[in-house]
Amino acid sequence: MKKSLTLLLAAIFLGAIIAGCASNPTTGTGGGGDNTGGNDITVISREDGSGTRGAFIELMGIQVKEGDVTKDMTTKEAIIADGTDIVLTSVANDANAIGYISTGSLNDTVKALQIEGAAPTIENIKNGAYPIARPFKIAYKGELEGVAADFVAFIFSKDGQDIVAKSCVTMQDTGPFESQRPEGKLVINGSSSVFPLMEKLVEAYLKINEVADIEVHMTDSSAGMAAAINGTCDIGMASRDLKESELEQLTDESIAIDGIAVIVNKENPATGMTKEEVRAIFTGEVSIWSVE
Amino acid sequence: MTTSTNSGKHREQIMHIVFTLSALTAIVAVGLICVFLFAGGVPAMLEIGVLKFLLGKDWSPTDTPASFEIFPMIIASIYVTTGAILFGVPIGIFTAAFMAKICPKRLYAFLKPTISLLAGIPSVVYGFFGMVVLVPLVRTWFGGNGSSMLTASLLLGIMILPTVIGIAETSLRAVPEELYEGAVALGASHERAVFFIVIPAAKSGVMAAVVLGIGRAIGETMAVKMVAGNQALLRMPKEFLKGLRTLTANVVIEMGYAEGLHRDALVATGVVLFVFILLINLVFSLLNRRSAL
Repeated sequence: MKKSLTLLLAAIFLGAIIAGCASNPTTGTGGGGDNTGGNDITVISREDGSGTRGAFIELMGIQVKEGDVTKDMTTKEAIIADGTDIVLTSVANDANAIGYISTGSLNDTVKALQIEGAAPTIENIKNGAYPIARPFKIAYKGELEGVAADFVAFIFSKDGQDIVAKSCVTMQDTGPFESQRPEGKLVINGSSSVFPLMEKLVEAYLKINEVADIEVHMTDSSAGMAAAINGTCDIGMASRDLKESELEQLTDESIAIDGIAVIVNKENPATGMTKEEVRAIFTGEVSIWSVE
Repeated sequence: MTTSTNSGKHREQIMHIVFTLSALTAIVAVGLICVFLFAGGVPAMLEIGVLKFLLGKDWSPTDTPASFEIFPMIIASIYVTTGAILFGVPIGIFTAAFMAKICPKRLYAFLKPTISLLAGIPSVVYGFFGMVVLVPLVRTWFGGNGSSMLTASLLLGIMILPTVIGIAETSLRAVPEELYEGAVALGASHERAVFFIVIPAAKSGVMAAVVLGIGRAIGETMAVKMVAGNQALLRMPKEFLKGLRTLTANVVIEMGYAEGLHRDALVATGVVLFVFILLINLVFSLLNRRSAL
């Protein structure tokens, strides 16, 4: 009995290992290290579904669309880190690593690359010189009134934009905020990328106008816009520009701009790359650092 | 007089109910988890196609059309668990033999709490240790980028040590002293008696330790996902310096953003994991029954 159990266990493991061997790995892209003498690039990506990954692959052309088919071409050899802090630690500890994070989370343990010659600074994102940036938008149907109007006024006031400034690039503010203190309920729905910022804004606003009742739901940009169109929420959040079909029914405003920084280890001699180079690295077409 | 016995009886009855309820909590919890897992996971599996889900090799949840296939993760879980066993079990058993039969009392007083402490360290701390110590170490010594099957196996090997040592030590101590004494009386040295008489006599307990170690290793999530690289690719054993994604890591990494079928596919991944754990527990209880006989 005991023996048969031991045998069974051994058989399970052996079977698994054989299964692993027998099925030919066809997906082995990149990671070659054949000839050039440079080091293998450690590509670090975020997990599938992450807003940062979504924006990054879209802005960099890593996501390929053909009709109804969209495909994320990020190399399958990329290490998956599920959080900005893990990307930062991994890049800081690996001289050959490259990753991407929201510019709001940059710190001096890593080096942010210039893209197309522009560093990911607030000015460069604002004037459009830095190409990997996306707007955080709110959108609503018709005219805003009551709590919604007061809250949007708060977002664009100096008080609101000061909160934005902690993590993103701000918009032109309208000066100090004075609440009309309207009562009522406000429902906000949409992008998970905008969600953390929106929560902070709501928290600050409720301190000023405690009679308001605001709910923020996290779905995604498209769901948020759909909800704003069909009226299940008052304000939708999107981390992308609105599509034409959405703009026909909604008014949109940018509340902040979020840049995505491409980061490498501090020992890495590279200081800048083109968009095409970044794309080639993240799709696995280039897998070795060239010797500089 | 009668009232006090009455109230005593009452109290006893009430406490009876309290104890029964407490006992039920665990059962209800297991039942609810089963129901939740299977209700969430099985329809998704059917929608994807059970064989495709279990044996396919492409995990691209956000593409349109998406594909949810977890064979690489099943294999990855088995790899890192096997690795952890290969690394952790010999060390664990030798440590247990040392502690039960060889260790001086003074050292034991220090060793035992140290190992208990090892069991108490939260897995995220192990993960962080792995990330900043083991990953660079493997990268310098063995090459690759460090986040790999080998790193995960090493880390898990350390993590299962307290489980393996604890149970193996208990079962070694449970071996009747006569066996050891008999061996020594027949002229065996101390070491020979320990390794050729006592350890074989405790075999089923040692096996139980291994099985519980497997259970611990296969279910570990936080630490593994921080050092394994998490690529959803089918690896071969010789690619032990490359990263892989275990079942647990797959669930915890993507659950945050997943929705719709993606989310259900992750729950279904949990179902597969749950079945694995059930099998392991079954083996464990069979072993226990053997040793009780």
